[in-house]
Amino acid sequence: MNEIGKSARDAIDAIQSGYEQLGYVSDEQIATALFLAQTLEKPLLVEGPPGVGKTELAKATARFLGLDMIRLQCYEGLDEAKALYEWQYGKQLLYTQVLKEKLGDLMQGANTLDESMGRLNDFEDVFFSEQFLQSRPLLQALRADDGVVLLIDEIDKSDDEFEAFLLEILSDYQISIPELGTIKAKKPPLVFLTSNNTREIGDALKRRCLHLYIAFPDAPRENAILQARVPELDYKLRTHIVDFVQAVRQLDLKKPPAVSETIDWARAIVLLNMQVLDADFVRNTLNVLLKFKSDIDNVEPEVTRILRETESAAAR
Amino acid sequence: MIADFIRILRAADVRVSPAEAIDAMAVIDAIGVQDRGLLKHALSHSLAKTEAEKFAFDECFESYFVPPREQPPQAEQPSDEHDEAESEAVSEAADEDTQAGDDDSLDQQGLPAGGGEGATSDGPPPSLTQMIETNDQAALQAAMAEAASAAGVQEARLFTQQGMFSRRIIEAMGLDDLDASIRQARDGGDDARAEKLKQGRAQLFDDIHDFVERQIAMRTKNAGRLLREEALSRIRLSNLDRSDMNIMRNLIRKLAKRLASRHSRRRRKAQRGMLDVRQTLRRNLSFDGALFNLAWRRTKVERPKLIVLCDVSGSVAAVSRFFLMFLYSLDEVMPRTRSFVFSNRAGEISDMMRDGDVDQVMEQALRAYGGGSTDYGQSMQDLAEAVLDKVDHRTTLMILGDARSNFGDPGHKVLKEFHERARRVIWLNPEPEATWNGGDSEMKRLGAYCTQVQVCNSIRHVERVLDDLLRQSV
Repeated sequence: MNEIGKSARDAIDAIQSGYEQLGYVSDEQIATALFLAQTLEKPLLVEGPPGVGKTELAKATARFLGLDMIRLQCYEGLDEAKALYEWQYGKQLLYTQVLKEKLGDLMQGANTLDESMGRLNDFEDVFFSEQFLQSRPLLQALRADDGVVLLIDEIDKSDDEFEAFLLEILSDYQISIPELGTIKAKKPPLVFLTSNNTREIGDALKRRCLHLYIAFPDAPRENAILQARVPELDYKLRTHIVDFVQAVRQLDLKKPPAVSETIDWARAIVLLNMQVLDADFVRNTLNVLLKFKSDIDNVEPEVTRILRETESAAAR
Repeated sequence: MIADFIRILRAADVRVSPAEAIDAMAVIDAIGVQDRGLLKHALSHSLAKTEAEKFAFDECFESYFVPPREQPPQAEQPSDEHDEAESEAVSEAADEDTQAGDDDSLDQQGLPAGGGEGATSDGPPPSLTQMIETNDQAALQAAMAEAASAAGVQEARLFTQQGMFSRRIIEAMGLDDLDASIRQARDGGDDARAEKLKQGRAQLFDDIHDFVERQIAMRTKNAGRLLREEALSRIRLSNLDRSDMNIMRNLIRKLAKRLASRHSRRRRKAQRGMLDVRQTLRRNLSFDGALFNLAWRRTKVERPKLIVLCDVSGSVAAVSRFFLMFLYSLDEVMPRTRSFVFSNRAGEISDMMRDGDVDQVMEQALRAYGGGSTDYGQSMQDLAEAVLDKVDHRTTLMILGDARSNFGDPGHKVLKEFHERARRVIWLNPEPEATWNGGDSEMKRLGAYCTQVQVCNSIRHVERVLDDLLRQSV
């Protein structure tokens, strides 16, 4: 028992520091989820508000493990043909044309109907072979030789049917293609599913996944993220930015600023070569942080107050 | 133990399937149980799958896997009054304790229900007296947990059972033995020992009481709410207490969601269609029979066009309010609803309902159209002016009212016109059927022009009515 516990702890710490070197600042919860996903070979469903780094997590994982990443962006109307495989109709048609001309040659010497049927049958098998198979992301992931990171992005945008279709892949890492039979993954891919919760994901899917909820980071973690992403900022300004954003998040907004927006804003500040946050500047760049007109209108009158409050905190 | 924890999670509204329980075991295998924080994260990933569930999970975890209580300091320093043997026993116990901590930090990490094995398996279980004398908290907790499961505390559901279970547990732990020891000590003149044991006994009672209380609280946290919801869905809406408004609102949202998801699925299925062989052949005759232009069989989807007229005068207002609340939670599957309220005049509130809060809208509506006595004739006339020319064979008209016209014109002539044009006219009456035709009720006269007349005075009724409507219209 002790052994397992210790090695798990070590592995999780290793993950956390490894990701940090790659510029992804995680916390213990995220690291635990990653460790479990790898050990149990289970897909990981990542939920959270937009912009907290769900997709980034999958990218960082691919870098960390040195694997390729295959990304499947979900949208309404996505179906098997686009996600899994498709026959290359054009190529098939072309081959039929070629075959038509060769038909005479082929049939030469065939004396009975059975014999010519047999010859034709051989060709039919060729038509539905891997040669004409166009792999889409899911099939690519299953066929990869040394495992990949498969990112199924924004699963909540897809239809219920597609979700049901994913079940076989996610639980057994295999897929049935009527013409070819069942294809089993050579090495199970590490699957990430992300969701913005625009609709509730089905229970069947949730059941097969580990579930990770990433919330907005607290101030120290956001600070660390900013340090990793925008190293040009000095400590004081960075702390002030983080405090300001955290305070804005407390307000009643349609869409509170996410980490990605904080990073954008910090980059803008670096680009404009600002040394301190002053009210006018903040007001002018609020549109980087907030994406709704009504939100901007709500925050604008508060800017001076928040700045004053956070400045004293940052000075401490 | 995990199974028990999962039972508690389920009681707290976290849905855990057997497959997830198996996952949880795999998770424990992978991560071990030494690190409480890690265990919490890991179990949370595999058991709780929404934000709300995570929250409930955290709560359950904290109260189920209680961190061990700090040992009271005086146990560590045996005073001189005690004889040598006792101080030896204490140091021994302390040794044992640290040992147990090393062997199986499960105990130390605070898993009370399972903590027993590590501490007691070393030798014959110490008696209750010994445990109290040595103040061995770990052993006490373990014994308590053991006795608790023997006493069937898992089955406890009611707070009135608390006393009984506490008693059972302490008896199983050896109360008789302890009492005997106390008597013995007193008879033997060892007052200090008797006093100490007595104190320990009181402390133990307290602990057990706490323990049982926590157990019951954990297991019944939601039972009460579920019971309440169940009752509320049947209660007469007019008898509803203000304090239940919030539960009611959530309940309606939940029911509406269920209804919406059920019927949206049916709709999609109807849209898909199959190959219509006959029509395909016919259509392709001109292409020499080569199937070129395919025709698909389509199930025609009828979108219910709903017009609702609700009475908002005093007696019926409460029902109307919830009916409308329910109706607009179904916006997803019935997007073309138009609603009117009336008392002495009728007026449309569709737009207000779509973007406003129901309470506000009801207030505004009451101010605008409420007040005076109910006038069915005038209200029907108003409604007819507004929408009669839009009523067609796909429209359903729903009227919610008690049909009490104050001996005025009940508006049955207008209703007849509606009846002729609309697909259905459904009258929902919040009064029980027995009183329908007494006094100024015109239900009989108006009912003649309705496809259906139904009692409707609880959320259950509302749900059934809307469910029927959706089912018939697909």
